[in-house]
Amino acid sequence: MVSASIMDPRRIESQLERHLLAVEKPGRYVGGEYNSVIKDWARADVKVALAFPDIYDLGMSNLGIMNLYHQLNQQPNMLAERVFSPWLDMEALMRQGEIPLFSLETKHLLRDFDLLGISLPYEQLYTNAVNLLDLAGLPLLSRDRDERYPLVIAGGHACFNPEPMADFIDAFVIGEGEEIIVEIARAVGRLRGLRRQEQLREIAKIQGMYVPRFYEVEYNDDGTICSIAPKEPGIPARVLKRIVITLPKPFTKFIVPNIDTVHNRAPIEIMRGCTRGCRFCHAGMVTRPVRERPVAEIMSAIAEIVKHTGFEEISLLSLSSSDYVWVEELAEEVNRVYKDAGLSLSLPSLRIESASADLLEKIGGTRRSGFTFAPEAATEKMRDLINKYVPDEQVLQTARDVYSRGWRTIKFYFMIGHPEETLEDVQAIIDLCVKTLNEGARILGKKATLNVGVSTFIPKPHTPFQWAPQDSRESVDRKQRLLKRQMRRGGMHLRWNNYEDSEFEGWLSRGDRRLGAVIRRAWELGCKFDAWQDQHQHGKWLRAFAELGIEPDFYNFRERDLEEVFPWDHIDVGIHKKFLREDYLMSVKGETRVDCRDKCFACGILPKFAKERSTTEEMAWECPPVTPINERRRARQVAIPLSAIG
Amino acid sequence: MSHLSPVAQRLRVTFGKSGPLIYTSNLDTAKIWERVLRRADLPILYTKGFNTRPRISLAMPLPLGISSECEILDISLRERIDLREDELRERLLSVSPHGLTIGAIVEVDTRASTLHSLVDNAEYRIQFLDDIDRQHLQRRIDELLSRKTIIVDRVRRRKRSVMDIRPLILGLRLDNHDNLIAHLSVGDRGNLRPDQLMEHLGLSDLHHKVHRMELRFLPE
Repeated sequence: MVSASIMDPRRIESQLERHLLAVEKPGRYVGGEYNSVIKDWARADVKVALAFPDIYDLGMSNLGIMNLYHQLNQQPNMLAERVFSPWLDMEALMRQGEIPLFSLETKHLLRDFDLLGISLPYEQLYTNAVNLLDLAGLPLLSRDRDERYPLVIAGGHACFNPEPMADFIDAFVIGEGEEIIVEIARAVGRLRGLRRQEQLREIAKIQGMYVPRFYEVEYNDDGTICSIAPKEPGIPARVLKRIVITLPKPFTKFIVPNIDTVHNRAPIEIMRGCTRGCRFCHAGMVTRPVRERPVAEIMSAIAEIVKHTGFEEISLLSLSSSDYVWVEELAEEVNRVYKDAGLSLSLPSLRIESASADLLEKIGGTRRSGFTFAPEAATEKMRDLINKYVPDEQVLQTARDVYSRGWRTIKFYFMIGHPEETLEDVQAIIDLCVKTLNEGARILGKKATLNVGVSTFIPKPHTPFQWAPQDSRESVDRKQRLLKRQMRRGGMHLRWNNYEDSEFEGWLSRGDRRLGAVIRRAWELGCKFDAWQDQHQHGKWLRAFAELGIEPDFYNFRERDLEEVFPWDHIDVGIHKKFLREDYLMSVKGETRVDCRDKCFACGILPKFAKERSTTEEMAWECPPVTPINERRRARQVAIPLSAIG
Repeated sequence: MSHLSPVAQRLRVTFGKSGPLIYTSNLDTAKIWERVLRRADLPILYTKGFNTRPRISLAMPLPLGISSECEILDISLRERIDLREDELRERLLSVSPHGLTIGAIVEVDTRASTLHSLVDNAEYRIQFLDDIDRQHLQRRIDELLSRKTIIVDRVRRRKRSVMDIRPLILGLRLDNHDNLIAHLSVGDRGNLRPDQLMEHLGLSDLHHKVHRMELRFLPE
C-alpha cells in the first residue's frame, strides 16, 4: 500500500514538476483541459472522485463517466473530479516517490474525497480497480474500510454480476447512473458522522443500490449456489436495476483532451436499449427498455458540441442504429445542416441491408470511417441458434451496394465458439467472406478490402446463454486454425481473440463471490491491465486459482442445470429468468423470436417498471401491447364509433 | 487578375504555453488550435480531400515539457474577418484551455513564406528547482564556451554520425536569479535542444524547468 503520508495538492504538483518528464505521455496526469470543471474544494459539501480503472487515453472516451461528472458538478454543493489508472512507468514513479493516487482537477488525494465511484464496464478492469484502491492508499477490502475512508461504489455493465468484486466494493449501482449518482452523493453528505455499517444500511435503501455485505451466500456440496439471501430485515431480497424513464438531455460540454486519446471525439447516445433479442448479447438484455431521443434533441446536441468543444468528429451511438425509428429523418437533417461543415459524423451499429449504405452516404460527412457490419454467423443453423438472422444474399447485396459507392473497406464481425458450432459452420464464415470480397474485387479490383473480426463467444449473465458452456480450447483452436489457414489472402485481414483472454473473461463474467480471493491473489502476483493483450498474465491467474483451491473450469465449461441458482440471481435487470430459460430452450431447438417491437414476448420489463411506464407516452419504449399489433389495429377499427367518421 | 488563392486572409498569432499545456506535444498543440478556432467560429480554410483539416501551421516545434511565450501560428481564413486585434484575442482566449496565452495577432501577406523555413535561433531560460552552486555552474559554462569544437555522437534514423554542436551554442550565461540563459540554434540548419545542452553540461540530474523566451528569424 502507498502510504497516504504528508502529500497535499501543492506537494503533488511539485513532485509532478520534477518527475513527470520521465514518463511516457505526461499529459495524462496533469488535467487542465478545456471544459474540465474546477470547483472550490473548501466550499463543496460532498466531494466525489470518478475513476476509470484504465489509462487516461481510454477512460476519456467513456461517456458514462462524463455523464456522471456533469450531473454531479451541476449540483451547487458537490464537486466531481476524475482519476485514471497510471500507466506502468507512472505507477513505478508514484510508488517509488510515495505519491498516492490523486485527482486530475485539483490533485487531491483520493483519500480526501467522500465518495469514490469506479466505472466497471467490463470484467478485465477488476485487477486495475484493486490496484487503484491500493495506489490511493485505501485498504483493499470493503470490511477493512471504516467511515474514515471514502465510500467506494462501482457501476457499469460488468456490475450486473457484481459478485466477483463484492469483497472490494462497498456498494454497487445496478443499472443507469445518471439520476442515482446524485442521490448517493446526497446520502453520503447526510450520513456523515455515522459508522460505515450504518451508512451502508441507509445506502442499501436507495432503489438500485446493492450492498454485498448484507447478503449471505450459501453453497451446495457441488460448489453451486444454494441461496443468496439478505442477512437482515430492510434489505431487499432482489435489487431491481435503476432506469431513467426518458433519456436526460445529452451531455455536450465534453472535456477536450490536450493529448491524443483513443476515441478523440464526442459521442451522442441516440437510443438506449435494443429489441432484437440476439441471445448472446448482454447489452441487449440488460439495457431494456428501448428509449429513443428525438431528432431535434440530437440536432441541437450536435450544434452545442461543435460550439462547446470544437470536436471535428461526433459519433451517434446506439446498440442498433437501424432500429432507431427516426434514423432516416436524422440522416436527412445531418446531411442538410452539416454537409460541408468540416464535421465528421459516424453512425455505427447499422443493420446489414441496402438502406444502410444510403444512410451512411448521407451522414458520412467528410471522413468516411468505413462500413462495419456484424453478421455474427454464416449458416442457417447458427443464425437461428443465436437469433440473429441475416441471409447470405442480403449480406452480399449490401456489400455490392457499399463497394459500388466507392467505399473500399468493409468490416465484418463474426462470432465463433458456441459449443453447438461445427467446423462446417466456421467454413461457411470463410466462404461468405470470400464471396463478399469477390463482389468487391469485381467492382473495385484490388482496392477492395474486407476486414474480418472473429471474436470468441463468452456466455454472459442475464442472457439466454447464461446456462451454456463455453467452447473448449481445443475446439476454438481448431476453428481458429481453419480461419487463419483460409483467410490469409490478398485484401482480407483477419483478427481474432486469444483463447486465454476469452477463458479469462469467461471466469469473471459468470463468477461468484469466491473469485474475490482469486482476483486479489492475481493482483498480488502482479496482474493488472488485463484488458491489454500484452499485459494479461494468464499463468499468474491460473496460479492464483490453484493456490486458493478453486477450479477455474467450474465457471466456464459446465452446462448449468436449468434450475441452478446463479450468483447474479438476486440482481434484477427487469427480465424474468423464466423468459431467458424459455429463450435458451428455443435456441437449443433452433427456434427464433422476431424483434419484440412486433410481438411482445413478455420479458418482464413492463410489469417490473409498470409505474415508470404509466408516466410515458404509450409507445415511448417501443413495447407493443401484449396482443399482436395487427389484432390491436383491428380491435381499434371496430371500436371507432360511426359518428366519428366523416 | 487570375490569382485564385482560396486564402482570403492570413493571420499570424504569437502564443504561449504554460501549466498543463507544456506536456502537450507539437502535433497535439496543432489539434488544440484547430478546436480553439472552431469554437471561436472563425471562417477557417480547410484542406481539400478525404481528411480535411484546417489550414494552420506552427512555426517551430516546442519540445515536450518546455513552456513558452513566443510560439507562432499561421492561420489561413476563407473569408476576411473584420475584427480589431484585441477583440480577436479576446474571442480566442474565451475559448482557450488553461495555459494557452495569446500575444500579438498580425495580418501577413497571403503569399508570405512559412515561418518554419525562417526560424534561426531561440533563447531559453532554464530555471533550477533546487539551490545551485553558482560558481561551479559558471565554471562549467566557461569551460564549455572556451572549447572550439564539441564533437558528439548522434544517432538519427538509426544512422550514427558525429557532429560539432559548438556552433549551435550562440550564447550561455547565468542571470541574476541563477537561471541559465541559453541561446541556441533551432531549425533545419542546425538544432540543439535545451535537454541536449544540459546533458553536455553534465547538469541533467539537477531538477529544472525550461522556458522558451524568444524565437528569432532570418530576414525574408
